[in-house]
Amino acid sequence: MQLECKDLKFQYPGTNIHVFKALNFQVPGPGFHALFGPSGVGKTTLAKMICGKIRGLNGEITTSQMNRILYTHNLERLPGWSSVREHLELNTPDENQSIVSELIDAFGIEALMKSRFAQLSLGQQNRTNLTRYLLQDFDLLIMDESLANVDELTKEKIILKIKAMFPDRSFLYISHNVVEVAKFCKKILVLRSHHKDPQAVTLEGRDYKAGRALDNKALEHTMLEIVNAS
Amino acid sequence: MLHRRLYQFLIIYFLGLALLLVIKYSLNLSDYVIPGPGEIWQTARQFFPIYFTAVINTLAVAILGHILSICLATTVGIIGRLTIWVGSFIRVAAYNIQAYPIVAVAPIIFILLGDGLSSRLLIAAMICYFPLLLSFIGIFSEPVSEIEHFFESTLRMTWWLQVKIRAFENINKLITVIVGSATLAMVGTIVAEFIAADAGIGYSVRIALFQSDLAKILVALFLIGVCTSLYLVFLEWIGHTIQKRWEVPKGG
Repeated sequence: MQLECKDLKFQYPGTNIHVFKALNFQVPGPGFHALFGPSGVGKTTLAKMICGKIRGLNGEITTSQMNRILYTHNLERLPGWSSVREHLELNTPDENQSIVSELIDAFGIEALMKSRFAQLSLGQQNRTNLTRYLLQDFDLLIMDESLANVDELTKEKIILKIKAMFPDRSFLYISHNVVEVAKFCKKILVLRSHHKDPQAVTLEGRDYKAGRALDNKALEHTMLEIVNAS
Repeated sequence: MLHRRLYQFLIIYFLGLALLLVIKYSLNLSDYVIPGPGEIWQTARQFFPIYFTAVINTLAVAILGHILSICLATTVGIIGRLTIWVGSFIRVAAYNIQAYPIVAVAPIIFILLGDGLSSRLLIAAMICYFPLLLSFIGIFSEPVSEIEHFFESTLRMTWWLQVKIRAFENINKLITVIVGSATLAMVGTIVAEFIAADAGIGYSVRIALFQSDLAKILVALFLIGVCTSLYLVFLEWIGHTIQKRWEVPKGG
């Protein structure tokens, strides 16, 4: 299971600004990986290219053993006519029904199941949205700031649960938070401005998992590497 | 809702009537040109049952035409939302045809269909159809990407679900457009009756016009205003009920 990008060039139609000039990177195997970079560098654009929402690429994005790629972002909404429970029941494949309650419990949304999406806070909305994506069949899930507005403790609990429940799947976590990216992610793809060469740098994250000790010095070192790279 | 609309209409109607009487008495015009209050009252008492039946007849045709145009605009709007050539063709055709004053086609309809119910119904439907269609096409063609994205990504999107999402997200706009077009349906029916029909309040007004009987016309206008207001209030009530049913209280 691998994601590879070769010599990718892209500029939005009608503009002279090159988002990517010659982007190359590789994300190996399953795991919780990160896509990091300053605002406007092209993280969401790249995510949309990977999942096929932006077509007509100049360059190559190849995936092996990744048939189902899903992309989710923090501005998504559930239809307003049904409750969270009704929506999840209706949109969860039969084979994943067994993990519904486990995810609901881990994400702390049990009390929200009878509510409509519009009644939830932003953090609750993002957790609910991410839950429904995790209940789908996917090989790679791109999470574009999917845990925005969620408090740090809950966020940690959720990320650790995702890593424990889906060890054989790939995740690409887009975030601006250096600490969580350094701490939880396996590979960190740092996307840089198109003026810089290379435009993408891949770093090793601490890949922290529940029950394991965390080397704080190593974490600080990784954080510095990320900051320097970007 | 009901009393507000009726008050508004009654205020405007009686202001207009007062203005006519001011003109009559200040210019010393004869009762033949502008009848006095007594004659208007007498005419109202005498013709109320006939005109009331006529205006109900007109309202029934207007409601049928309105329903017909809503069904048609919904169907064409759903097809017009498609990104393939059929959708583009319908959108372009709708924008071009609506620019033409459709009432000008009315004589052709009367020549082909005669002056019966079908002509009135068709003209009423056509007059309120195009404003409805443009709004419906606009609403059904506009993706609600923050909701639709999930269903598209997971290959669950169907045409019915897409329409449901877009209609739900734009329910206020849809209700406003439907209520607004109700007046057009009434206008269309009266215009059709004015031109060549053999029934309805427009037909009665045409006869009163030939007789130069302003009192009859004023009575007809009063009934038209009251009945149109009642129909609009009824539509607003339906809209309000739907909105209340779907409304979600905000909370955090």
